[in-house]
Amino acid sequence: MSDAAMQIPETPLFDRARSIKGYKLNKMAMDLGRPENREAFKADENAYLDRYGLSDEEKAAVNARDWHEMVRLGGNLFFILKISAIDPTPMTRIGAAQAGMDHDDFLKQRLGKH
Amino acid sequence: MAKIIGGIGTSHVPSIGVALDKGLDGTPDWKPFFDGYIPGKEWMREAKPDIAVVIFNDHGNTFFLDRVPTFAVGVAESYTPVDEGWGARQIPTFEGAAELSWHFVDRLVEKHFDPLVCREIEVDHGLQVPMELFFGRPEHWPVKIVPIWVNTIQYPIPTPQRCWEMGKVLREAIESFPGDDRVVIMGTGGLSHQLQGSRAGFINREADEAWLDGIANDYEKYRGMSREDYVEQFGSEGAELIMWLVMRAAMDPKVELKHRHYYAPASLTGAGMVVLENAA
Repeated sequence: MSDAAMQIPETPLFDRARSIKGYKLNKMAMDLGRPENREAFKADENAYLDRYGLSDEEKAAVNARDWHEMVRLGGNLFFILKISAIDPTPMTRIGAAQAGMDHDDFLKQRLGKH
Repeated sequence: MAKIIGGIGTSHVPSIGVALDKGLDGTPDWKPFFDGYIPGKEWMREAKPDIAVVIFNDHGNTFFLDRVPTFAVGVAESYTPVDEGWGARQIPTFEGAAELSWHFVDRLVEKHFDPLVCREIEVDHGLQVPMELFFGRPEHWPVKIVPIWVNTIQYPIPTPQRCWEMGKVLREAIESFPGDDRVVIMGTGGLSHQLQGSRAGFINREADEAWLDGIANDYEKYRGMSREDYVEQFGSEGAELIMWLVMRAAMDPKVELKHRHYYAPASLTGAGMVVLENAA
């Protein structure tokens, strides 16, 4: 289907363009499914990222754990979530970052928590 | 021949598995969610299936973007949990119903489906969590499994109509499988959730409740919906619900809704289940 047909507000679908754009970033994150790669990431994050040929922009987004930016650069959440296993980040905080909201506001307004 | 004894629709949220691993299932946040599954678990215990067919999606754990099968079927003797970044979860290995898997693959191809056939492959929470919700944490799983993967990650994902058609072939495969195995079909994923973009945290309780009511005997509208409709109503990741259609299509046109449960949010997701039996 055309990308134009799938334009739903505030909803980046992982389409052809995003998949192509984010391939290296996602491949780096996918490989964190192996313990030896997690160790390498922890030991020297930028050296690990360089193995995958990430751009400075991509590396900065990973270094900052900027979830919104990683998705903008083509990262798919299911892959980049593996970064959150390195220095544990709750899913609700990642969600709040995507939404550009304060965590408490996100819990209340989006998830209906009190 | 083998017999379909029921159809399950259920969420497979990873944090459910984490809650079980950490023993959080009795905490105020989680107890209402898990309590709602007790009737489903009891139904399963009494139904005594031999085989569970589990339709789920991988979440960037087993398949990378180097190769993305729209549909894949496991034909392995056994399946172990995959490392999702935290180390593989300590749950028992799943035994494969390899004969039924191969038979299903034969039927699929005869009916012009082209599945990826997987002889050696690991499974992520998409399969693990539904098994734990309905079978608990046994030392050995009481059923063998047939895993079916549906791509819901990279577009184009399959259409709801194609999922429905695969369910029809699944039924035919089970009912032409020699022996007297009792088979339960588990369609998994959803309900509404969105994990990416500024609409992250989107939950549509009204649409979820309507889905749980309608999937039994008012399913035509869901069958006819486009992928865009699913994303709009249930969120980008909530479109996983198309996998329940595989299960529903494998059941009779008229079914009995035996159990139903809804709870939101489980993590960022509207969560719940239905248990369906073919109407007598």
